[in-house]
Amino acid sequence: MSFAAIVVMVSSMLALWGVATLAMIYSMRQEDRKLILLKEQGDFEPFSPAAQRDIENWLARHPHGDEAQEMRELLECQRQAMQNNARHFYSWPSAGAERQ
Amino acid sequence: MTITSTSSDSTNHSTVHSSIHSTTTISREQWGSRFGYLMAIIGAMVGAGNIWRMPYVTGENGGGAFLIAYFVLLYLIAVPGLMGETALGRYTRQGLIGTFRKVYGNNRMVGLGLVILVFNIVLMSYYSSVVGWSIYYAYHALIGTFTQTGFDTAALWQSFSHNKALNVGMHTIAMLMVTGILLLGIKGGIERMAKWMMPILTIALIAIAIRGLTLPGAMAGLEFSFSPNWEYLARGQTWLAALGQALFSTGLGWGIALTYGSYLGRNDDIPLGGGIFTAVGNTSFGLLAVFAVFPIVFAFGISPTSGPELAFVALASAFGSMTGGYVWALLFFAGFFFANLTTALAITEVGVTTCKEERNIPRSRAVLMICVLIWLLGIPSAINADILGYLDFVLGNWGLPLATFIIMITIGWKFDANRLRILSLNRGSDLYIPSAWEATVRYQIPLIMLGIMAYFLFSNLGEAPLKTLSGLLVLMLMIPLCMGVMKRRLEGQDSQHVAGGGVS
Repeated sequence: MSFAAIVVMVSSMLALWGVATLAMIYSMRQEDRKLILLKEQGDFEPFSPAAQRDIENWLARHPHGDEAQEMRELLECQRQAMQNNARHFYSWPSAGAERQ
Repeated sequence: MTITSTSSDSTNHSTVHSSIHSTTTISREQWGSRFGYLMAIIGAMVGAGNIWRMPYVTGENGGGAFLIAYFVLLYLIAVPGLMGETALGRYTRQGLIGTFRKVYGNNRMVGLGLVILVFNIVLMSYYSSVVGWSIYYAYHALIGTFTQTGFDTAALWQSFSHNKALNVGMHTIAMLMVTGILLLGIKGGIERMAKWMMPILTIALIAIAIRGLTLPGAMAGLEFSFSPNWEYLARGQTWLAALGQALFSTGLGWGIALTYGSYLGRNDDIPLGGGIFTAVGNTSFGLLAVFAVFPIVFAFGISPTSGPELAFVALASAFGSMTGGYVWALLFFAGFFFANLTTALAITEVGVTTCKEERNIPRSRAVLMICVLIWLLGIPSAINADILGYLDFVLGNWGLPLATFIIMITIGWKFDANRLRILSLNRGSDLYIPSAWEATVRYQIPLIMLGIMAYFLFSNLGEAPLKTLSGLLVLMLMIPLCMGVMKRRLEGQDSQHVAGGGVS
């Protein structure tokens, strides 16, 4: 086999098998972490800090209507989970942020 | 409102956290485990095309150059598209028509969901014959037919493909298998099967690849597949082939990811599992097939562009000539059958989930109704390969791109990609998806789908004008017809509601 073919072959193996294996292992570990949190405290926050900011920004832009109510319910769900649970699923920058 | 899961598995965290306050709720079964969902969704997408198509498309289009084009399109188009489709299904927690009703309201636009459902049923009606072929060959591998001295695999293929009764019989066996597994449910049927079949398929392909690489002349196969011919990167045909493989082999926009996503828990991850793993994992099987098939193809001097006959004639013959051929033939055809069966389960499940919800009937009845319908519709394709070819021509060129177009427009514009990303895609996600994702779903994928349909129209009109025009006509009539059917159904429901004094 030519050197170029070997480089392409190895790169393809890394880009496909490597990424797929890492994605599967990481995803299963994260879901196991969720399971532990659910068993220990019955709940965890559904949104990451960045995803929570997205909800807040969306509500600032669309404060009225049924869709806004749906977003508010999600935000409330997130805040309750943050307040009620000692351990969080996502990494939060500070204790202050955790108690938002 | 509160979700009440029907699952009783104590290890199912989806069940535990399904009581979290949420916005869209109905009672429904859920996947039993993360591994089970990942195997089921990958099994849905890995089919016959991964094993016989990916290797020769790669070799024909510049090897490494094709792979680069393919990776770019896979990550830019297929991964974001699958994320959106799965997120929409998880949000509505309903099948195709229920999802369209939730997004468009109770009006004739729900007919667009019916259009995609019809495409799935027609697709399965002839895919069942392909499953039947693989059952037939797995059976022959099991009884050692291919390793008999002087056995002629071309004669076997000829006699099989001309035997109408046998083809109808294999189509029937395939549909009986699909029916039996689907009757066991999402967790007890599809998930349980996928958890066994996909690892077995992986091991089978790895074992065949190791054996194939030890054959004299095998390296020429890898050289053919991976040797980069950079001139191909400047050719439009290379990018079109890469696009076709990236979109069609991942099953984007057919309603499968939407249906499987609807059985996910509220806080289960979507971007990593439903997006990246599904698309990249599916292609990983294509790469594995390159290693498993091409060393053997080149070692035995087989033409690498033989299509279905590559598996059923050339490879079957090669296995017969190899030391330990019985084992290799059995591994290959059993794996090939598993790949086809898990895809068939997914395509049929789209109809089952929708039928169960729309008619409000038990799952077992919905399974029987849909499977009998598919079996009846599949008989002409089993009897006449030309009908199978025609349906594949129309659906492959325009039906499935149209389905993808409809789903992406629904996600991007009607539901609003921004809202879906916030409400569902980033909920419980292992990977944060930024707003750049929205442009892919709103603009890139729909425009590419329109481009693909226009290209196929242009390229087929000269060669097969009657086939092209008749197929397009049927497809174009499907949209107003399905919208009309849904409108009549809604009017019927309204009049029943008034007659029953249900107006408040």
